[in-house]
Amino acid sequence: MTQVLFYLILGVALWVLGLHGLIRLHQPIRRIISVNIMGSGVFMVMVALARRSEDPDPVMHALVVTGLVVAISATAFALRLAVTGQRSEEDRE
Amino acid sequence: MTAALAALLIPLFTALGLLLLRSRSGPLVILTSLATLAAACWALVEVTTSGPQSLHLGDWPEPLAIRFQLQPITALLLVFTALIHLLVAVYAARSRHCRTRDTDYWPLSCLLQGSLNALWLSSDLFNWYVTLELLGLAAVALVALSGRKAYGPALNYLLLSLGASLVYLLGVALIYGRYGVLDITLLATQTEADQSTRVAFWLMTLGLMLKAALWPLHLWLPKAHASAPTAVSALLSALVVKGPLFILWRLWSEAAPVELAIETGPLLAIAGVAALLLGGWSALRTPWLKSLVAYSTVAQLGYALMALGLLMHWQLPALDAALWLFVLAHGLAKASMFLAAGELQATLGSKRVSALRGTTETMPVAMFAFAVAGGSLIGLPPSGGFLAKWMLLEPMLGQSEHWPWVAGILLGTLISAGYVFRVVALAFDRADPVPPDFKPDRFAHWLAMLPALVVWGLALVSQPLIAWLTGATP
Repeated sequence: MTQVLFYLILGVALWVLGLHGLIRLHQPIRRIISVNIMGSGVFMVMVALARRSEDPDPVMHALVVTGLVVAISATAFALRLAVTGQRSEEDRE
Repeated sequence: MTAALAALLIPLFTALGLLLLRSRSGPLVILTSLATLAAACWALVEVTTSGPQSLHLGDWPEPLAIRFQLQPITALLLVFTALIHLLVAVYAARSRHCRTRDTDYWPLSCLLQGSLNALWLSSDLFNWYVTLELLGLAAVALVALSGRKAYGPALNYLLLSLGASLVYLLGVALIYGRYGVLDITLLATQTEADQSTRVAFWLMTLGLMLKAALWPLHLWLPKAHASAPTAVSALLSALVVKGPLFILWRLWSEAAPVELAIETGPLLAIAGVAALLLGGWSALRTPWLKSLVAYSTVAQLGYALMALGLLMHWQLPALDAALWLFVLAHGLAKASMFLAAGELQATLGSKRVSALRGTTETMPVAMFAFAVAGGSLIGLPPSGGFLAKWMLLEPMLGQSEHWPWVAGILLGTLISAGYVFRVVALAFDRADPVPPDFKPDRFAHWLAMLPALVVWGLALVSQPLIAWLTGATP
């Protein structure tokens, strides 16, 4: 149980860290990284919750995998927007 | 259920087909949008005659299954989505100023409609997360269509939307960890008002409030909605923000423990009043026309949030009907207002409110559409907005301890009147009208007028509509 608790707390800590970064930072790339850290935090909480019983809960794992797919595609899109947006700003200057 | 599934699959396959064939054909989308509308109407008829239905995808048993649920309100929302999508598609194909012809608008708007329909039909917490993400990604891509100057607001919208989803997801994880179910009907039988449930529900609520741009988490909305192409702004304001609101309503009215709902209700209602006042104030002050319309969305969502909060606090099912009337009336009026505003500013060649001087003379139809839609937002009788407001006020007027809420609503109405008349008064200043840069596009102006007329037409069918809505919401 203590191991599960450790990962739960770690997950929540990562989530809070990411949220803080998303709110406080201004550079697009840093904010994208913050969102990813937040995501990792949630996924860690979910995996830790799945490990509470002897045989891990497969539903939670399926959810995490779906979440990862969403996170990857969203990150790719965000990076594209950030990079092109930055370039057009440089062009203007 | 087949009809409802068709309403979900037609836009999805249209979008995929357009992408595969590298086609950006507007007329094709209008045709499939008509088919979707027919399917949605059929679903509405089906659900009214034979009651709610549900479908387990892939025939899996209960806890593993992804369940689609067709309720009367879901069917109504399917029809509403299809109507707005069709109208905006016709506008996007026909308007000279829209700049969406032959762009990615067509597949993206179909994806948007598909994910929204999936959201209405879903009834489990994780499926909602997935549909919210789909909706958010499609919406951001649509905002980015207006070119590089919109990339900043689009990126900000995307990041906040992703962050909001993760706040919601943490809540979902806690709920699953506590109860071991995700389906909302199963959850409803199990929830207890303990500490972890409270934290989970608050996290989900915060995430959804940020997604729906409910005060105080609305700051991303005006920029994103104002910088999008006109057709997209109309879709975003009329439809997209209603998705998270729907989930919020289902969560609190079905799944949440009653004590928790009673405790949280006033907080949401206060946020609603604040949205009404502060959103309205910003709409009064902004120099830009589209920002004015976008801030009015923030303000008008305040009514819906207030209806939800009071509904939770007093456990009054009568307010369900008020909430959904608001959603319908606001969606129609806002579609009309954004189309009119987009046409006005494109024809005048200026984004400022002050450029509207004398537009009643130069572009009477578009300005009239704006004013008529504004009338419904203010809640002038006999519009749909008036009906909704009346439904909201009715249970409060009888008891004097509820009068502070009434005062809030009336003050909000005054401010709405302020920002609508700010535009209308300027438009009647005919002494020195601003000359338009282009010849006005009559057809587009009448198209903008259409939903505004429908929203006033709601008053003609008010009695059966209210009776139906009261029966339709569980």
